[in-house]
Amino acid sequence: MQSFVHVCLAGLSNGMFIWLVASGLTLIFGVLGVLNFAHGSFYMLGAYCCFTVLKHLGAGYWAGLLLGPLAVCAAGFVVERFFLRHVYRIALPYQLLLTFAFVLIFDNLVKIVWGGGALSAPSLAFLGGSIQVLGRKYPVYNLFIIAVGPAVALGLYLLLERTWSGRIVRAASSDREMASAIGVRVPALFTGVFVFGTWLGALGGGLAVPYVGLLTPGMGETIIIEAFIVAVIGGLGSLKGAFVGALVIGVMSAFGTRFFPTFDMFLIFILMAGVLLVRPEGLFGGAR
Amino acid sequence: MGKKRFSRRQFLKIAGSGSLAVAAGGLGGAIASPKWVWGATPAVKGPIKIGYQAILSGTLAGYGEFHKLGVVMAVEEINAKGGIAGQKVEMEFRDSTTKADEAIKNARYFVDSWGADYLGGIDSSGQALALAPVMAQLDRVLMVTHAATEKLTEDFVYKQGVKQIFRICMPTYNDGNAAAFIAKDFPAVKWSTVSPKYEYGFTCWKMFQETLKKVKPDAQFVAESWAPFGTTDFRSHINTIMDAKPDGLYSTEWAGELISFVKQAKEAGLFEKVQYVMLPVGAAMDVLEGLGKDMPDNIWISARYFFQYPNSKENTDWVARFYKRWNHYPAYVSETGYSAIYAYKAAVEKAGSKDTKAVVAALEGMEMDSPAGRRVFRKEDHQAIYDVPWGKTKTDPKYPFKVMGETKVIPAKEYFNRPPFEGPGTSPPFK
Repeated sequence: MQSFVHVCLAGLSNGMFIWLVASGLTLIFGVLGVLNFAHGSFYMLGAYCCFTVLKHLGAGYWAGLLLGPLAVCAAGFVVERFFLRHVYRIALPYQLLLTFAFVLIFDNLVKIVWGGGALSAPSLAFLGGSIQVLGRKYPVYNLFIIAVGPAVALGLYLLLERTWSGRIVRAASSDREMASAIGVRVPALFTGVFVFGTWLGALGGGLAVPYVGLLTPGMGETIIIEAFIVAVIGGLGSLKGAFVGALVIGVMSAFGTRFFPTFDMFLIFILMAGVLLVRPEGLFGGAR
Repeated sequence: MGKKRFSRRQFLKIAGSGSLAVAAGGLGGAIASPKWVWGATPAVKGPIKIGYQAILSGTLAGYGEFHKLGVVMAVEEINAKGGIAGQKVEMEFRDSTTKADEAIKNARYFVDSWGADYLGGIDSSGQALALAPVMAQLDRVLMVTHAATEKLTEDFVYKQGVKQIFRICMPTYNDGNAAAFIAKDFPAVKWSTVSPKYEYGFTCWKMFQETLKKVKPDAQFVAESWAPFGTTDFRSHINTIMDAKPDGLYSTEWAGELISFVKQAKEAGLFEKVQYVMLPVGAAMDVLEGLGKDMPDNIWISARYFFQYPNSKENTDWVARFYKRWNHYPAYVSETGYSAIYAYKAAVEKAGSKDTKAVVAALEGMEMDSPAGRRVFRKEDHQAIYDVPWGKTKTDPKYPFKVMGETKVIPAKEYFNRPPFEGPGTSPPFK
């Protein structure tokens, strides 16, 4: 029982990181129609920028978490405004190539700025303690992570469904030309959505700093693959799907590691293959 | 710079070593002087080109940088003192990544396009195994400085006769056999592991179990959890271990993943529950520096080299020189990379030729002094034999990271597997 609960908790917190990355990915795909490989790089940059704020500017972790992802938004802006915008009209493979180029560029940028070695994150002061869960220590910070995920999901829901700008975003995503005909500045809107998606990924990275405890130049690579799997299982472009998918993948991989160690990676891919066979559009992809 | 130019420095060096050889000849009588000293043209034509590859990208990019520090320093020193056999050393450094085909591509580029005389580097065991047959084909010596699987030297060099492979770094014998020798003195009976889910992790755990069962028959192995390359979240693995309630934990996690693992294990209170923890590559500088105060005390750690050992003048001088040059303590791959270049220097000068066959012959059985102490390249399997320490972590106000307190050094010849590598009497303990 003790183990079951702890593995559940590990799975939930893991799922939340995947959700934060997958949500930005999904939002950008849903609205702009771009599959952004570089999204994992925003996660990495978010972590590094957060680290820099907390370490070198003398500010605490929470200032880093606030300011770091905002700094990464600038990178997102540049990528969309000066590069991606020019390839919307050409074939999908070119978009993929361009975003993949940015993965390499950002990986090397991180190596130049922060060095190739792993950076170890200092331990937290606030929320740094741990509590006893069924007789085993559990860090309070991880509970915070588990709370942030649904909070972001709720925020996104309210933003998209209940606000004027959300309505415009939805309009532009369902019919780009019609939206532009009725006076929506679609290019500016796309930039805005891309930057917001960037922020979500970077926030995930910032949150990962104390959770993983370590920053390395390739840290975005594993999570982007998981986020893609989640996006496919949930249905490309569906935020609800991404949330459910991230939880399923997070918890399943934790259980896989603990209880079926021989198959842990296999399980996730089997699930993805299964979903694609039965529902090629993904669990919640039917609406689009 | 014409090749024929005979500089004053070269002249002095040759004159110097010539007279030294004469003196030695006069004293010892039997010592042969190097041939090239007397020839009108040097038998070794320069430059000496060394192609080196290590991981320079992705999560382990730091390792390539550590290799580079040692290798660059050796090349600088050697060139400042007249090069190898009077010839300048040129080096090219390439990113090996962690993929086998990339390592093979680099090796082919080095030899076929760049004209490398010798190769060095390689971090991953998988890459080393894939490269072995390629090196035989290319007929160039590869000095492995990090990849540790014993299969490289036992199977490829000894059994299949790939003479072009040498290894200057400590193989898995330290991670498996020596760890078992240390563990046998603990009261711990139930052992567990969290280790990398690839060749290196599997082979070490297997060796540790086999040797421990021989030296401590009541040992039990109660849990194992395998973390794939790139794992950042070890919490499920930690739960696996804590559920099994072992007395001891053995982990060959390394580099950044070891840092994450130790931090997360500490958060979960694992070190309070499991008393004996052994980390065969826990004394790597990146791990010690990365963890700082987060590394618990009383953990048993080791590495392919640790800057505090041996307490010799050669080592302390080197560490001081290294620190002055790079403002950093040497990582173990910095030492093995540095010594690899000096091994080539010694071998080429001994052979009096750049020729692969001659250099292989010179390296076989060669003894050399290095920062890590005296190394001997075993003739049969081309493995360098030298001693490394195991030690218990402790806080030392002189350093911003944990160092070794209580230290145990088991002589390498007591725990290195011996040729022919199968059958009784080839693996420790030896009578």
